[in-house]
Amino acid sequence: MKVSKSAKAFRLLIAGAFAASATVLPISNGFAAGEVRGAKCNVEGESTGTRVDSLVCKKNSAGRLVWTTIKLSSSNLKPVKAFKAPKGSIEFWHWRNEDRAYFDKIIADFEDLNPGVKITQTISNSADYQATALTKARSNPKAALFTTFRGSQFNQAAVAGFYTDLTNEQFTKRNVISSMMGSGQYEGKQLGIPYQSLFNDPIYNIKIFKDEGWKLPKTFNEWIGYCKTAKAAGYIPMAWMGAFPPQAGQIINSALMNTAANENALKKQVSDIDTGKTEITTKWFKDMAQKYADLRDAGCFPPNPKSVTEADGNALFATGKSPILPTGTFSMGGVRNLNPAMKGNMGVTGMNWTNDVNATYTGITNNPFIMGINKNAGKREQKIARAFLSYLLQGEVAEYYAKNSAQHVTVLGVEYDDVDLRNTQTIMSERLILAPRFIFLNKAVSDAAEAALIEIVGGESVDKALEDGAKKIKQILNK
Amino acid sequence: MENKTETGALRGASLRSEVRLKKKRRLADVNNRTFLLMTTPAVLVYAVFFLYPTLTNFRYAFYQWDGFLDAEFIGLNNFVRAVTNDDVLIKVLGNNIEFSLLVVIFQTSLALLFAVYLVKNTRASLALRTLYFFPTILSSVSVALIWQFLYSPNFGPINTFLRSVGLDFLALPWIGSETITLRALAFTQVWFHTGQMVVIYIAGLQQIPKELYEAAEVDGASRWQQFKSVTWPMALPTTAVVMAYTTIQSFRAFDLIFTMTSGGPNDSTSILATRIYLSAFNDLQFGYAATQSIFLVIFIVVLTGLQRRVFRAKDQ
Repeated sequence: MKVSKSAKAFRLLIAGAFAASATVLPISNGFAAGEVRGAKCNVEGESTGTRVDSLVCKKNSAGRLVWTTIKLSSSNLKPVKAFKAPKGSIEFWHWRNEDRAYFDKIIADFEDLNPGVKITQTISNSADYQATALTKARSNPKAALFTTFRGSQFNQAAVAGFYTDLTNEQFTKRNVISSMMGSGQYEGKQLGIPYQSLFNDPIYNIKIFKDEGWKLPKTFNEWIGYCKTAKAAGYIPMAWMGAFPPQAGQIINSALMNTAANENALKKQVSDIDTGKTEITTKWFKDMAQKYADLRDAGCFPPNPKSVTEADGNALFATGKSPILPTGTFSMGGVRNLNPAMKGNMGVTGMNWTNDVNATYTGITNNPFIMGINKNAGKREQKIARAFLSYLLQGEVAEYYAKNSAQHVTVLGVEYDDVDLRNTQTIMSERLILAPRFIFLNKAVSDAAEAALIEIVGGESVDKALEDGAKKIKQILNK
Repeated sequence: MENKTETGALRGASLRSEVRLKKKRRLADVNNRTFLLMTTPAVLVYAVFFLYPTLTNFRYAFYQWDGFLDAEFIGLNNFVRAVTNDDVLIKVLGNNIEFSLLVVIFQTSLALLFAVYLVKNTRASLALRTLYFFPTILSSVSVALIWQFLYSPNFGPINTFLRSVGLDFLALPWIGSETITLRALAFTQVWFHTGQMVVIYIAGLQQIPKELYEAAEVDGASRWQQFKSVTWPMALPTTAVVMAYTTIQSFRAFDLIFTMTSGGPNDSTSILATRIYLSAFNDLQFGYAATQSIFLVIFIVVLTGLQRRVFRAKDQ
């Protein structure tokens, strides 16, 4: 069979076109994602992960946003591999029941790598955990790996000498983001490893903001304006959960963050209330409380706000009745469970309660879920816990946890390809402060102070709510 | 000779009685040992799980302790604080009295009313008794979660229904109001336990001799007069049991209240049981919680004492 010259040429042309498309298209796709060092990026703070070659969107010397590599660990050495565990069994104490299945998988893999090791999760709800876990775990030699909340619980365990010092562990130096380790430090020692990296207050519905043509508010007056606009459009501006104080109190983080000139001054003024040196009727607290009343009067909160439970609040947000969920990234998993369509539709922003766009802080972060090794556990159990902790601090293990739990982690070597985790990273470009709510170390006092603010949202006058709250705090401190 | 025989007989008799005595003593010893053996486990359980914690609680009432670090002896400070410097405790006592009164009055009355109508063993009665008893078999936490959903302001069926029929003004903040919520919780408690009390009442009412009703009917007594003159006085001992039981139940409503409101808003639904729990496990003031639990014991003793006195007087 003869083939004409023109047919040959045509075939060559097709083959050439195919070869060119096969090689060029993937490259162009790579460029389309734009995540190449030195290339232009759009959202300051967005990052591709915590690997050595991960990129972060940062301004260069010319003030242009470009993809940049940054050093996240305190060491130049590669992350250390997981240790081998001796045979035996331990308990892993925490409160995140929603993570049970992911930890089960991680534990099963660890047990496969370490035959003869058995790790059991001991989980209680967060309230019970806060109240009783330390007491129970202290007298339990098997409770070798335990977690604490940031603030009063971590402090209590640290004061009691409950932790094994992890300062000189190689995984502390080489496997984690050093700037996120502060909440696990006490008197200069690294007693616990904060595992999660959260961003609090608030999450917003990207689609509603886009469809309505709203911009994210940047000042307090803009927030007031947003509430009025959203309410007029038929939304409940903020799905605030007044019947569930632990979540209702989340916005105090934003309320507190710029009430002092700097973080040290903020710590002092909060500690003064915590210890009874000043009362919540003091000027700075009263000014802050007045803003709760302003938000209330602008219609920011749901009707009957003190009746809204955590389930109600999440449902209001997940069903699109409310564009703002004033909690934090830790709620995203729950929202996605309620409405899978919310995947990829959640962003996190800061809530600046001042009218200064250049305020010291514009967003909240937190590093809770602090993992520590129980000093009172048996020596063998401590070794198993140390090995398991080193395993949890492996990039691929932490990445599995991050993807499934929809939480950012403090571990190096993680790549975030979950759409919600990527979306919420934009907050990294804000000026962040570690959630100031946890500066309070006396939980009864902080609860009473937050309860006074909840009363204001519920309709009480600022003066009356603060006077009642101050009296309650005095009585708690028996003054 | 006679003397000798007498002496011998006497000795024999005393020997026999001595043997009998010994036998008795041995039997008593065996009985004592059996008694000890049988009661020891129960006493041990009582001592370990009741006596020791109770005494420890009394001890902690004199300490300041966060449940974790070392306890500090502070004498009577906790008691002084409870009596002179704790408005929340006073409020909680008031809540407890209101909650108990509401529950006791409505639960007892409704239970008696239903029992009077369902006392006959007809098929319909049996079916209704089962229906009313049904909530009792649910766990209190399930009941709390169900009612928390029903009362929900935005998604709850109660408010949704009220709004759908144009009764928006009745769509109240059932679990978010300082004035309404305690009553809403009392309603839930009554719904939860009335069926159980109906069964107790029916058992009591079925013991009343039929002749009394027949005699009343012969005398031309109306149904109300029969109830007033026969049923009510004859059911008084059952009422005493129901009321005592209901009172204790209302004090033990911790799980229901804690799950639905955690004592909020602003302590308006906190009862002594929830307050003690929160003082210990939320505020980490274990010593002060121990003090409050002593007040709870005193409160219950006084209240049940009063109830018993009232019923004794009525009996007489």
